[in-house]
Amino acid sequence: MDIKELFAKQEEMKQKTLNSKNEKESEITKVMTFYIGDQVYGIEIPYVIEIIGVPHITVVPGIPYYIKGIINVRSKVVPVIDMRSRFGKEEKEYNERTNTIIIEESGVSVGVIVDEVIGVIPVYQKYIANSPDRIGVNDNKFIKYLLEMQDGIKLVLDVSKLIFDGDMFITEE
Amino acid sequence: MAKVEPGMEAMVDVYIFETTGLLEQLDEILLRTEKANEFTEDDINEIFRIMHTVKGSSAMMGFDNLQQLAHKGEDMFFIIREAPEKMTDVGFVYDLVFQMSDLFKAEIDMIQNNDDYEPTDFSEMISRLEKGAKMLKGELEDDGGTAAAAPAAEAEAPAAAAPADSTTVRVFFEDGCKMENIRAFMLINNVKESVDEVEIVGYVPEDIESNQDSANVIIDNGFLMTFRAPDPKAVFTAIENSLNVQSYEVVDNVAASAPAEAPAAEPAAPPAAASGTAPAASAPAAAPAPKPAAAPAEKSKAPEQKAPAAPSSGGGKQSLISVNLQKLDQLHDIVGEIITTESMVISNPELEGLRLESFTKSARELRKLTADLQDTVMSIRMVPLTGPFQKMNRIVRDMKVKLGKDVELVIEGDTTEVDKSIVDNLNDPLMHLVRNAVDHGIEDTSEERVARGKPAKGTVKLSAMSSSGEVVITISDDGQGIDTEKVIQKAERNGLLTKPISEYSEREIQNMILLPGFSTNDVVTEYSGRGVGMDVVKSNLSKMGGSLTVESKKGEGTSFIIKIPLTLAIVDGMEIMVGDAEFTVPISVIKESFIVKRDQIINDTKRGEMIMIRGVCYPMLRLNEKFGLPSDVNDIEDGIVLLIESENRGICLFADKLIGEQQVVVKPFPKYLSQYDIKGQGLSGCTIMGDGSISLIIDVNRLIESH
Repeated sequence: MDIKELFAKQEEMKQKTLNSKNEKESEITKVMTFYIGDQVYGIEIPYVIEIIGVPHITVVPGIPYYIKGIINVRSKVVPVIDMRSRFGKEEKEYNERTNTIIIEESGVSVGVIVDEVIGVIPVYQKYIANSPDRIGVNDNKFIKYLLEMQDGIKLVLDVSKLIFDGDMFITEE
Repeated sequence: MAKVEPGMEAMVDVYIFETTGLLEQLDEILLRTEKANEFTEDDINEIFRIMHTVKGSSAMMGFDNLQQLAHKGEDMFFIIREAPEKMTDVGFVYDLVFQMSDLFKAEIDMIQNNDDYEPTDFSEMISRLEKGAKMLKGELEDDGGTAAAAPAAEAEAPAAAAPADSTTVRVFFEDGCKMENIRAFMLINNVKESVDEVEIVGYVPEDIESNQDSANVIIDNGFLMTFRAPDPKAVFTAIENSLNVQSYEVVDNVAASAPAEAPAAEPAAPPAAASGTAPAASAPAAAPAPKPAAAPAEKSKAPEQKAPAAPSSGGGKQSLISVNLQKLDQLHDIVGEIITTESMVISNPELEGLRLESFTKSARELRKLTADLQDTVMSIRMVPLTGPFQKMNRIVRDMKVKLGKDVELVIEGDTTEVDKSIVDNLNDPLMHLVRNAVDHGIEDTSEERVARGKPAKGTVKLSAMSSSGEVVITISDDGQGIDTEKVIQKAERNGLLTKPISEYSEREIQNMILLPGFSTNDVVTEYSGRGVGMDVVKSNLSKMGGSLTVESKKGEGTSFIIKIPLTLAIVDGMEIMVGDAEFTVPISVIKESFIVKRDQIINDTKRGEMIMIRGVCYPMLRLNEKFGLPSDVNDIEDGIVLLIESENRGICLFADKLIGEQQVVVKPFPKYLSQYDIKGQGLSGCTIMGDGSISLIIDVNRLIESH
């Protein structure tokens, strides 16, 4: 969904709520936030299947360096992406705070390794900042929108781009 | 899939399944009767039933063209059924019906695969069928018009009392259509309305309007209707076009005697009885449900209703159900997961060091049960090779006619069972090989054969047997064999040789015919000779993990030997460790494993490390280097070497250590990774081990190729 659509939808929802319940502001969605380096990122909750630690990763040859291999998540074989490495940051040894977030979109599951999961926050319209271009980082093609909050800017990742886009494509089997 | 009337979509699958099954049954009967050179009464009834069912369900689904086609086929057998003993020269009937069944199959294929399906116009075939029917009729009339074959009439039949110029028909309604009495009443009205100058003389049972129980009488004995009309055919048409009519027959109108004749002796006993005697019983996999599942009342049909309708069917109850393959796969996956989870529970590290007597006992019990469960699920997916084998009968028959060769197909071991997914992929390779055997293998003329001291009739043998996790299918002919001279010359012309001619062994030369772009036949025929085929066969088979080899003796015949695994889903594997990673090597390709001494290694500057085993030099592939895995074991004397061989090529793999043998459930790589060429690296999939870790399965062919 692009931002304009999201805005429109949000506007509509807001109107509705205002009219009917006369509430201040409605919640658009919830976002799970986590650190990659010092930056806080987020993934919208509907995409998140589960959060686990870093299990034993089986190395698979012939795949890009940022895909660390495959893991066994309750008898399902899932590839894992190291987000530090994906965003061109220096890799760091995994520790007890390192988490793997299993996300799914259109039947394709991927695990993303992040430095630390922070928590879940509700997203209100007023937090959504307009353009991701304001953050001049090389990872912005995966950013769906920004949240400008009192405790800092949070970058919400675009899961379908992360899975289906970039320099990759999924061939149907 | 083709678009059909709203609400019917769900039925299309059933329709396609049923109709395909019925058509296969039809082919089978025709082949059998053609061989035996006679139609038995049962056969004709069975064919008639098939045509009728196909017609009915096609009409239901709104495929009018198919309905008309089936209708004409049915007409033809209607004529034959009237006087089967008069059928002498019916060769053309076979051709016509085979052609019709082919058209049908092609059309159904289109319905299944094309979203924008357009009905094909069958008017040409229909007119040919009409002509055929006329010819049959002419023959019948020449024989004196003794079309009165039906021997029996019910004791209470009005026919006995009916005037001589009237006709009595016995009508059966579709099983389970309910309210047969009302349907009979509607039938009478329908006849009255649609046929001019018809006079309904009477009907049995008479109380259809008032008595509900008359429905059961109709189910059991049919609905008898006597009428007088200038054109009885028009009445028949009207009956045919009435709703829910399953079949009808003309009861002998010459006031037939034999009132005491048992109803069971009737040629047109209720369809259920006919299905009991159907040859389908011999081929359970091919036997579809004996009635059109597309019938509108199918869902509401209660089993107890069927019971009185077919008392004579005895044990002919269907014990087969059809299940969506996806559900089976799902079940299979779940069972695989249960087994993995079970291992995780039983060998849980937290249990270590505890004395758990009853736990161990229960765990053993559980393990036994899950093993049984897995075997059962596997066996569900196993189907006999009967289907694809029987299809070859048809191909040989057609080629026999076209090529004018006298060839017999002998089938052996067609009850051998293999995984469904393999059976589905076997049709094309088998067809190519059988065609090849008939076209190239068997000599062109029987004189040639006799001159060589062979029987005039050529034999193509198709046999299957299973041996240690593999199915071996052999297609052999007793024909001229492979002319190695010709093969090597041709190979030379096509630039397929890689070493001097003198260095090729007989076997190598014979196997050259499997190379892409090779065909010794100089003339391209309808069936073979284009140089595609053999290599396609081979690549199709290797996709399934199978192999193809040739054995031939000049002048004596050729055998093509296919070896395929029983199933794709489970592999007997040897687990090996390379660094941190675990790999599975299919046991079937491992020739031996051993530890080598440093001085056994030959270092070739071009090709790297080699090792000489019993006079053969094999390249050595270090898996840790190949897959870029850091490993502590770098000294060749510390690790283990596996000699693997596939498709006549061998290679030695160097791994850190062997863990042991294990049956593993093959899982494909996650979809997300399908964009990368992992398979090209020599890995075919992965599997989850008992301790929850993942092992990568080595694809030996690709590994050898990539080296």
